[in-house]
Amino acid sequence: MTKQDTEHNIEEADIQAARGQFMNLVYDEKTFSFTAEQFAEFSRACGETAPRYTDPAHPEFQAPPTFPTSLHPDKRMPDGYPRFNGLGMDAGKAVAPIRPIRAGETITARTHVHDIYSKSGRSGRMVFSLIRMELFDQQETLLATADTSIVIREKPAS
Amino acid sequence: MILDLHAHSIKSDDGRAKVQNYCQWIRTRKIPIDGFVLTEHRQFDFESDYSALAAEYDIVILKGSEVETEYGHVLVFGVNESFTQAFDMTSIRLPLKDVIETADRAGGIAVPCHPGRPRVGMAAHIGTYGIPAGVRIVETFNGGSRENEDAIAQQMAREQGYRGIGGSDAHIVSHIGRCATRFNTAIHTERELVAALKSGEFEAITFKEQAA
Repeated sequence: MTKQDTEHNIEEADIQAARGQFMNLVYDEKTFSFTAEQFAEFSRACGETAPRYTDPAHPEFQAPPTFPTSLHPDKRMPDGYPRFNGLGMDAGKAVAPIRPIRAGETITARTHVHDIYSKSGRSGRMVFSLIRMELFDQQETLLATADTSIVIREKPAS
Repeated sequence: MILDLHAHSIKSDDGRAKVQNYCQWIRTRKIPIDGFVLTEHRQFDFESDYSALAAEYDIVILKGSEVETEYGHVLVFGVNESFTQAFDMTSIRLPLKDVIETADRAGGIAVPCHPGRPRVGMAAHIGTYGIPAGVRIVETFNGGSRENEDAIAQQMAREQGYRGIGGSDAHIVSHIGRCATRFNTAIHTERELVAALKSGEFEAITFKEQAA
């Protein structure tokens, strides 16, 4: 058994294997359509005051930039994704708004594992899975990406 | 000249600060540093060019790396392609000996950071691996240190004869410049920074009490 084996219960080789098997493969696709009132309600709940996000009558009315964080794929993770042993937590979200999302459009959301990596910190080793949902309009134009990071804080090997 | 030798921008996965916002903060809050080094986690940022920002704000902006070894985290200054090609920079188990030697060969220098920190500091691993060869400098003031972590680092430096540097380890804008390093010479490039570090003519300083 190597020194690393005695310190960690998640093998680096398993992380590398998961990268090779799962990264950048779309594992979930679903469609959405939203009403103007849904956008406006989300905006108000976030404290947004700009009329282009809160007033459906505004000529530039659109979803607020953070709206994609409220969308979720049907499958949380790809089939067969490894269950790393440790404490799982949400490690944050990031949105890249690219083009306006309009009410009434049919939006296709495709989700893939964008990155898998480990890092070490005060509390020990952590394994991150970065899940990226990409939103497209009916012309297959990319409207936004929404990233969700999931971290597994490793339980030290006993 | 005073440089914060340890800062992270949004290029790091846990960094929340844009480089421009660091510059704005330094100028508007009159933070008493002349510049900072971006030491992004497990990578070297070859692509970003901060020269326009540096000129606009009259701030020295240099680049390095923070890599992860069996002894914890290590800053590397003077990173170039020969260094990055020698390693998988994303690995969290790089051999410290190789990092030190490769940095030296590449014209750089490796500096264990926050050495008093549990798990990711050098002191936590000396009992297992022994005192590492080749270390000349450690970070003795770190802006993110808690409790006695800096004291452990300073004691280690005294006992082993290491020189000490300071860095904020800033991940958010308001933490830039909390700790820094004072040099006797002007530094405007990574090469000059490495030369100054190798000369030993510097001291670690902290502004944490003023910032509190």
